Amino acid sequence: MASSSSRGLTFKLHPLVIVNISDHYTRVKSQLNLPPSLTSTSSAATSNNNNNNSNGGENNQQKPPRVYGCVIGVQRGRTVEIFNSFELIYDPSTRSLDRSFLEKKQELYKKVFPHFYVLGWYSTGSDAQESDMHFHKALMDINESPLYVLLNPAINPAQKDLPVTIYESELHVIDGVPQLIFVRSSYTIETVEAERISVDHVAHLKPSGGSAATQLAAQLTGIHSAIKMLNSRIRVVHQYLVGMQKGDIPCESSLLRQVSSLLRRLPAIESEKFQDDLLMEYNDTLLITYLAMFTNCSSTMNELVDKFNTAYDRHSRRGGRTAFI
Amino acid sequence: MDIEQNQAELIDNFVKQASAQKGTALGSVILEATSHPSLFAFSEILALPTVAELEGTENSVYLKVLQLFAHGTWSDYKSNCSSLPQLVPDQVLKLKQLTVLTLAETNKVLPYDELMMELDVTNVRELEDFLINECMYAGIVRGKLDQLRRCFEIQFAAGRDLRPGQLGSMIQTLSNWLGTSDNLLVSIQEEIKWADTMSELDKKHRKEVEDRVEEVKKSVSVKLQTVSRLKLSSEGSKISTLNLVE
Repeated sequence: MASSSSRGLTFKLHPLVIVNISDHYTRVKSQLNLPPSLTSTSSAATSNNNNNNSNGGENNQQKPPRVYGCVIGVQRGRTVEIFNSFELIYDPSTRSLDRSFLEKKQELYKKVFPHFYVLGWYSTGSDAQESDMHFHKALMDINESPLYVLLNPAINPAQKDLPVTIYESELHVIDGVPQLIFVRSSYTIETVEAERISVDHVAHLKPSGGSAATQLAAQLTGIHSAIKMLNSRIRVVHQYLVGMQKGDIPCESSLLRQVSSLLRRLPAIESEKFQDDLLMEYNDTLLITYLAMFTNCSSTMNELVDKFNTAYDRHSRRGGRTAFI
Repeated sequence: MDIEQNQAELIDNFVKQASAQKGTALGSVILEATSHPSLFAFSEILALPTVAELEGTENSVYLKVLQLFAHGTWSDYKSNCSSLPQLVPDQVLKLKQLTVLTLAETNKVLPYDELMMELDVTNVRELEDFLINECMYAGIVRGKLDQLRRCFEIQFAAGRDLRPGQLGSMIQTLSNWLGTSDNLLVSIQEEIKWADTMSELDKKHRKEVEDRVEEVKKSVSVKLQTVSRLKLSSEGSKISTLNLVE
């Protein structure tokens, strides 16, 4: 495989594609590991981070399964933007691609997104392989130069960037025989507003970095650093004014005017109405938390009572034990 | 602050003009400066040596006018009407704008009655027009007019020229602000620690409960094995699914 691509096409990848591929892989992997790790499959099914691997899959795996699918998007001039993806049925051992399924899916997607074309295909694995060329060639009748998006599902905590690579195919002459080889290309991530919100949401669910173990701590840490910055800025202004008073720094009236107008805005929030509103909202929140706790407790109690009744049944064959209620 | 940027050029202009001239000619410069619609800062001009020379001469009235515009209000003008020259309407307008700025220094919420008194305006409609057109559109004040409670809530007001004593009070306010934010930082830090310890405790507690459940399950399954086949009725399976009863 050559290591540079100079065709001048710029690629833009949407996070939706990455999430789709990882979801597909996770589902297939977890479905193969059913009995010994029931709990781990449920946890794997809910994992939807960008570059996640199902954690319970290590039990009886010889080799992680490869998933295949199609990526669709728009090509405008030299910019290729990959918006979405869907799965395909492909058997690597027989190298047969389910054409009818592909065509049906294409048709369905065409109805909803008339502008999207099949731009290429995706798969998972650590590196592009020779056998991938067959799939690549199979897709060449739909798109004359398809893209190959490869996701590496192995989690590497030291890795900083996304384990996604995009390959193009180029015709090179090797040993006198023209061959198609995969050429790596760079890409940028482009997000739509909806994607940004969901990625943001997921990123905040589990705070990164070991210092903040809970979400509350993470949020507080954010506020803490913001206030710290404000503090340092105020300190700078303070020292400036002190210097001006002592006479070390020549008085600059326009700056003083700005500072005085700034200080006039303090205290920023202090009025009776604000206090009332704040207390009201505080009380509401406390009340709702209390109510939720109540509901939780009563449901746990209910379960406990049910269990008691089941255990100490009035009509038990052993007799001698009475029901609880 | 955009007002300061707008004014910076004008101030430079006037400073150049004022330092080039003396005496009566200076008076006309001052007149022009105080009637200019976008100029609200006069301390640079006041600081010029040529202007300070006016003190004591027959042109000292101009100096007094400049000082009035730098630090005073409309009521100051009314009380000292005799010693000051007649102001042209532009200057009157500017002085009233500066009065609003001074009032904004002390309170964030200015009642209409006080404003009307200070600005010599008789009805609310005129007052509101003045506030909207002259103050808010000029950009020196930003706020909300509350007609029901008859007050003007100020969110932002441009700074006026500083009186000499004001620097000390500004430094005091800044150090108070610093102190409050430091305290806030410390308390947030404590909250973070509290959140962390509570989550640790919770995890430990959860783990302990699960360990106990495991133990109980093991002991119950041992009991089941010693019980005879007949007794392995539905109850037996129910007991083995109990969590915390034992």
